[in-house]
Amino acid sequence: MFPRKIVLIVGVIVLIAVNIIVLSVSSKRYTTFGLERIAISFISPFQELVTHTMRFTRDIWRQYFYLVTVTRQNQVLKNQLNQAIGVNNQRQETELANARLRNLLGFQKTISEMVVAAEVIGKDPSAWFKTVIIDKGKADGLTKGLPVVMPQGIAGQVIEVSNHYSKVMLIIDRNSAVDALVQRSRARGVIKGESTDRCRLDFVLRKNDVRVGDTVVSSGLDGVFPKGLRIGFVAEVIEHDADIFHEVIIAPFVDFEKLEEVLVVLAVQKHDMASRQ
Amino acid sequence: MSYCFNIAICLVLVILQTTVMPYLSLLDRFYDLLIPFIVYLGLSRPVREGLLFVCFLGFIMDNLSGSPFGLYLTSYFWLFSGVKGITQLLQVGKRMFVITFIVACGVLAENLIFLGSFAIYSTEQQFAGGAFNVVAVQVLWALLTGAVLLIIFRNTHIWLDTGFRAFWASRSE
Repeated sequence: MFPRKIVLIVGVIVLIAVNIIVLSVSSKRYTTFGLERIAISFISPFQELVTHTMRFTRDIWRQYFYLVTVTRQNQVLKNQLNQAIGVNNQRQETELANARLRNLLGFQKTISEMVVAAEVIGKDPSAWFKTVIIDKGKADGLTKGLPVVMPQGIAGQVIEVSNHYSKVMLIIDRNSAVDALVQRSRARGVIKGESTDRCRLDFVLRKNDVRVGDTVVSSGLDGVFPKGLRIGFVAEVIEHDADIFHEVIIAPFVDFEKLEEVLVVLAVQKHDMASRQ
Repeated sequence: MSYCFNIAICLVLVILQTTVMPYLSLLDRFYDLLIPFIVYLGLSRPVREGLLFVCFLGFIMDNLSGSPFGLYLTSYFWLFSGVKGITQLLQVGKRMFVITFIVACGVLAENLIFLGSFAIYSTEQQFAGGAFNVVAVQVLWALLTGAVLLIIFRNTHIWLDTGFRAFWASRSE
């Protein structure tokens, strides 16, 4: 009835229109269809395996191979040196692990909510989004929306949960928003990610006093993050003549490039505290 | 055989991209490794087989990433369709220059779709200053390595396919 070329063109146009509509619906907010859990459950065990193998290999590389180089240079003392440095390294590693765990435990005691420690097993494949996959899920009491923190400060929020794995949106992701306060002046704003290593503190009125170096903490008003958790410090304040808000750039305290372990803060009211005591 | 190979490659690339590459500072701004694979599917595989894996990969990546659902699916689908369209017009064959150009264009197209979606659907102006740099570095990486990856996929597939056929032939004798 119609030439094939016209049908093809109309088909492509319809397809593009449908595509734009679907994307606009899913872009409005973070939508889930329940199928995400299948994908995460399917891929995450492999991610976990590869991540653990990588860390194991890296540890071997750092702790062992350089010892081999030393022993080659010191043929006479080969055995003694190997043993001594090997033992010493093991001790150092244990001390470091001890310090890190004490640090985590110490931090755990400073916040009133219950927390679950989790390991980062995968990172976002895209340069434009900042999410990570952690090795704790529903089975460990995690639910969507829980805050994720580090001893240094806030890391992000759980946005997807499968049985044993979860997806965490970091505060530097462009879709992230955290209600925050400048600790010194109590000026309020919203921390928004930019998918770089910096964030912005939006909606800070120009009448409020904000200075470079000020610490920014969570206000607790977003109902997600407990009040008073450190987020970052003010790296830059830009004034625009025609704007009623400051443009504030925040450098987060957490180094997201080296994120390996995190703590997920469980909602106190969702847990039977009495049964655990 | 083809399906097994494709599944294995998909899995390896996704795992590599989410676990190994983020920890290598040199490859911090590497392009999406699945693009050469999508281009390979578009150039060398039938539509039905290619489309199946395009949807599969799009679905997996959409769920592993923090992107709005459908963004990767969109990118891969249109990239696959574009490559199929190009093969109707051009005789690509084993011409390195054309393959390199297609992969680089694929990387550019994916980034433009992403940036376009931010521009259209984001309620506020949120373009990072380094967006241009990110895209430029990715395209540069694609120009340097894209064709090599694609040829590796193609040759591995041919090698496995030939070996598999020879194995079955020897068994049936």
